[in-house]
Amino acid sequence: MSMGMSILLFLIPFVAGVALPIVTARRSAWRQPIALGAIALMTLVAAYNLRIVLTQGPIEYALGGWAAPIGIAWLNDSLAAVVVLAVSTVSLLTLVYGRVVVPARLERSVSYYTLILVLLAGLVGIVFAADLFNLFVFLEVSALAAYALVGASGGKGAVYAFRYLLLGSLGASLYLLGVGHLYVATGTLNMADLATRIPDLLTSTAVAGGLIYIFLGLSIKMALIPLHGWLPDAYQNAPETVSPLLASTVTKVALVAWVRIEYSLILPGAEVSAVPVLVLLEEVGVLAAVVGGALALIQTDLKRMFAYGGIGHVGLILVGVSLGNATGFAGGIFYLLNDSVMQAVLFMIAGALVHGHGVRTLDDLRAMGRPSPWLTGALIVVAVGMVGLPPTGGFFGKWNIVLGALEAEHYLAAFSVVASTLLTLGYFVRVFAAWFHRPGATSAEAPMAPGSLMASLGVASVALIALGIFSDPIFKVLIDFVSGGGI
Amino acid sequence: MLDLVHEWLLRPNFIVFVTLFLWGLYIMVVHTNLVKKLIGLYILQTSVIFFLVAFSSKEGATVPVIRPDSMPVDAVEYANPLPHALTVTAIVVQVATLGVSLALVSAAYRKYRSLDENEVLQRAE
Repeated sequence: MSMGMSILLFLIPFVAGVALPIVTARRSAWRQPIALGAIALMTLVAAYNLRIVLTQGPIEYALGGWAAPIGIAWLNDSLAAVVVLAVSTVSLLTLVYGRVVVPARLERSVSYYTLILVLLAGLVGIVFAADLFNLFVFLEVSALAAYALVGASGGKGAVYAFRYLLLGSLGASLYLLGVGHLYVATGTLNMADLATRIPDLLTSTAVAGGLIYIFLGLSIKMALIPLHGWLPDAYQNAPETVSPLLASTVTKVALVAWVRIEYSLILPGAEVSAVPVLVLLEEVGVLAAVVGGALALIQTDLKRMFAYGGIGHVGLILVGVSLGNATGFAGGIFYLLNDSVMQAVLFMIAGALVHGHGVRTLDDLRAMGRPSPWLTGALIVVAVGMVGLPPTGGFFGKWNIVLGALEAEHYLAAFSVVASTLLTLGYFVRVFAAWFHRPGATSAEAPMAPGSLMASLGVASVALIALGIFSDPIFKVLIDFVSGGGI
Repeated sequence: MLDLVHEWLLRPNFIVFVTLFLWGLYIMVVHTNLVKKLIGLYILQTSVIFFLVAFSSKEGATVPVIRPDSMPVDAVEYANPLPHALTVTAIVVQVATLGVSLALVSAAYRKYRSLDENEVLQRAE
């Protein structure tokens, strides 16, 4: 039973996604409950899977019964289990939220629910795949679903989805090119097998070039500055229910894919400081963290501001995982989990404002009447998390990234975390100034938020604080993961 | 320098790959017509597939099917099937991407009645 947990986690959304158009062809009212049920089941299985992995250690699954070097292997380890749990929980929250804030045409649209389920199946595949080419296939499965979701409401969304597609496919081609290089140099695609052969070949230009292509490809997918061009437009114009889902999952999972490649292929054979390109990654992260925060500060559109904030945070996470010590790694991955929830809440708030009040920019926000107290509460919690103050998980993530940077004596990295924090504080001050500004003397009663909105915002806010309170056991899992010899 | 050129000329496959890749990228960057951008992307993706096929080519090798009379197996006589399997999968991915992108282009065209990127973006604002 425990053997097949990873494949079960993939099959739940995949089978539901494929069956949905057939089963509900004439019963449009069933679509939402089926999708919700499948993702809820997946979340439960993911939680159970995490428990199994923590007690039994990493579990490898050989697809089709062909063992690893010949067949395709999936590795279900603590990193994968934690990330899958986070991804499925966040998707469940955004789908519940989508019950209220959904454009009329999408509410019963079969393609909308199918695409979400296929996106999830692809993301699960990326996280579990222990084979470079398998990872490429799932990268494209999830990316195709993401392009279609961004363009789901047509019009402007379709134009920006097309631009996202052009860049995303360029990234995928670069990734495939890198995989080709590594295959030529080593003759294998299995990560565990590659890990035994790459350390001797790190000086080979084919291996170095291949790894650089892979990183370039994935950095387009994770919207790392300066390859972030597609993200703000795509998220700003995506349907209100889609942007929280994409912002919290797609870029983060691409980053997880890079972490897995770096930690299982390169780091067992070489120190970070010995490979100049790896040191450079940290500087790229520093640049992304500072520039992303600065760009967020000058935006006037709320969704764009949050999108740039997310781009900056991808840089921060990259800084953490590229430091090459366990503290930085645990801080980076923990911050990734937090950021996944925070991005979901931010875009949920932005979507609820567009949907309920027609508010898109800071000026609209200033002119708006009293918003629902649930929105205000969630915004305060998520702002505390984004800035990184103690009760929330954001603090512990950033704290450990700084500690890791000091441990590695990379003071620029430590500085970038602080700078990014100040920039984040800066743009939240702008949001709050507009939020609590009341035009004239409107003493109108605040509108009540619909139940689903309250539930998803409430659960997400509680999750942000819970991540902070229970950060110790999560850090222990992550540090065990990295000091247990990579994968 | 001459040695380098000589070395390159020994590998015509890779010159073709690099040319196609850069050509595709150039079309994607320079042209404003959405369908032309798509063609550029297609050329670029095809060049990567060409790369996979090119490095797996082997002179005098045969199809990797093992028959009862071909025992014992000598790997040198067979072409490596794995890059071809990768190629087939990559082509499937490429076709799926093309389908989604054409759908998006036609959605944009129906709404804005233009295929020129600048015009479409102007009308979308």
